[in-house]
Amino acid sequence: MTYKMTVSGLDCPNCAKKLATLIEKNEGISGVRLNFLSESLTLDSDLDFDAVLAAVKKAVAELGEKVTVKRR
Amino acid sequence: MKKLWNDKNLLQILAGGILLIAGFLVEHLTDGHPIATPIVFGIALATTGCSVFWRAIRGIFRGQLLDEAFLMAIASIGAFFIGEYAEGVAVMLFYLVGEYCESRAVRRSRAEIKSLMEMCPDRALVLKDGNEEEVAAEEVEIGDTVILRPGARVPVDAVVLSGDADINTAALTGESLPLSAHAGTSLKSGMIVLNGVLYAKAERTAETSASARILTLVQDASERKSKQENFITAFSRFYTPIVVGLAVLVAFLPPIILRDASVLRDWVYRALMFLVVSCPCALVISVPLAFFGGIGCAAKQGILFKGGCSFDALASAKVAVFDKTGTLTKGEFSVTEVTPVRGVTKEELLRLVSAAEAHSTHPIARALRAAAPDAPPAKSVKDVPGKGLLAVLPQGKVAVGNAALMADIGVAVPADASGIFVAKDGGYLGSVTIADTLREEVVPMLADLKRSGIRKTVMLTGDHETPARAIAKQAGIDEVHAGLLPEEKYAALEEIMETEGAKALYVGDGINDAPVLARADAGIAMGGIGSDAAIEAADVILTSDQPAKIPIARKIAKMTLRIAKENIVFALAVKIAVMALAASGVLSRFPGGMWVAVFADVGVSLLAVLNALRTVFSRKKTAPR
Repeated sequence: MTYKMTVSGLDCPNCAKKLATLIEKNEGISGVRLNFLSESLTLDSDLDFDAVLAAVKKAVAELGEKVTVKRR
Repeated sequence: MKKLWNDKNLLQILAGGILLIAGFLVEHLTDGHPIATPIVFGIALATTGCSVFWRAIRGIFRGQLLDEAFLMAIASIGAFFIGEYAEGVAVMLFYLVGEYCESRAVRRSRAEIKSLMEMCPDRALVLKDGNEEEVAAEEVEIGDTVILRPGARVPVDAVVLSGDADINTAALTGESLPLSAHAGTSLKSGMIVLNGVLYAKAERTAETSASARILTLVQDASERKSKQENFITAFSRFYTPIVVGLAVLVAFLPPIILRDASVLRDWVYRALMFLVVSCPCALVISVPLAFFGGIGCAAKQGILFKGGCSFDALASAKVAVFDKTGTLTKGEFSVTEVTPVRGVTKEELLRLVSAAEAHSTHPIARALRAAAPDAPPAKSVKDVPGKGLLAVLPQGKVAVGNAALMADIGVAVPADASGIFVAKDGGYLGSVTIADTLREEVVPMLADLKRSGIRKTVMLTGDHETPARAIAKQAGIDEVHAGLLPEEKYAALEEIMETEGAKALYVGDGINDAPVLARADAGIAMGGIGSDAAIEAADVILTSDQPAKIPIARKIAKMTLRIAKENIVFALAVKIAVMALAASGVLSRFPGGMWVAVFADVGVSLLAVLNALRTVFSRKKTAPR
């Protein structure tokens, strides 16, 4: 299943790339596409939305930037 | 706008700047006091650099040694250690200034694009069991009656049941002229009711309605990348390691070869300048920003690019191929010629035909009816399938149809007559010719395309040769392929691409020519926002039936590509020049050579970003004349 989220607060393409890598590391999440300009995050996962959201939020915390994640 | 004292980054830059000036003062006044000078500059460096140092340390623990924060930290601390205190602070300070301006620019352009997203309404007023009820737009079901008051956004695609109103469609089509809506008008979500109240039947849910589709397209557009964006992604992966590798070589190789430790300081200084320009930031941000801006600018005018790759295709096309019906022509028939026999006026002839055809729903009949809509409808009409019809009117028995019908009733038709024949009481009265009419904007549109480098225009149609050629001549089309079945258009396009040996753009409505749209280098679906097949197949989607948008789309594509290329060339040239000057020692021969490197790096970033922003704010330049 493909999930779409809005990720706001990313200021540079580098941070976006790092965040995408961190999210991709999660078991069960693949095909992470994070566009820092349109602030859209698309990923494929068999997990339910809450599990995916938790994984994304964990990655954001690890990145240490002020970023908010919302379902789109 | 944030208050100055709430903007942490700006405060940090200001504090750093003041401390840097303080450092200069102390250095100057104390004649370079060996303890006081480094202390003041040290405080300046700590103030400006704390967040970058922190990021660098975190990066080290994650094994990211080529992180830009780490490299900037090395460059500034390195400069500090070889005694170039002010330059160490400057590296950090201007790095912050650059980052700050870039993030401001990104936010500005995001905000500009975000206004697009406001077109998705979140509430809807629905009529349920005779009562008005406000619900979330997502809860509107197909078949529900939605009520639209002045100022309301249409929540879902719907068709008007009753009421009259002017509708602002600008959010979807970029068109400023309002649309007048009445029973039967189909509305797309995102349009705004200007005056009057409408009752409309929902035809789609919110997620599948026009505005949601447009948003999804625009948001996902940046996933299909252009050559330039792919180049930058690939390039940035190699650029930093190479520059850092060169920096290490520049710092240590010459002293080792010369076996002279005393030159180490000079070569380290040269190497630090490499680190200053080691970040590909200027490119990594400005090139995608240009495309993002181009996509947004186009979307506001009702032109939806599927992605950066569509820009390449559209800008490089040399041949323009058009579907005829509904693309070059209005797809509506109208009376173009009336030829009555002597003694009958055109008006009389049209009134007879209109009266006879009043009950028929055939498109041709409707066109005939529209030519004299107030003629009283015939009481009794007999349909003759494939030939025409016979009607009884107060004026007499009227036959309207083709030559076969005239032969059936024994009416002789003049040899040079063509079109639809009319006879009354067994006598020939004249003929009426109807044709699909050319859209008014087609002629200037084709001229615009020719000016922008399209060398040949071609029309594909299922129509017969003669009417097709007539339309092509009127439009100024170079080549006509007539009598094509829908599936033959695909082969015709391939043949054109083959013989011309050039990239082709194809414009169609996407209804029965989706494969052709997909085959073309740049497929443009006109008015295609409602059709999944068209969206899937096309590279560019025009939200309204306006061919005039095609040259505008091409202009935007060309401008965006030009800006992206300018940025790539400019940024690379400056960085390579700085590295060459640094390595050869030219920069370190002057006091403050590193300043040049810092300005080159930050300055290039800023100029490239500003250049990219031109696409975001270029609406006026590309607006239709």
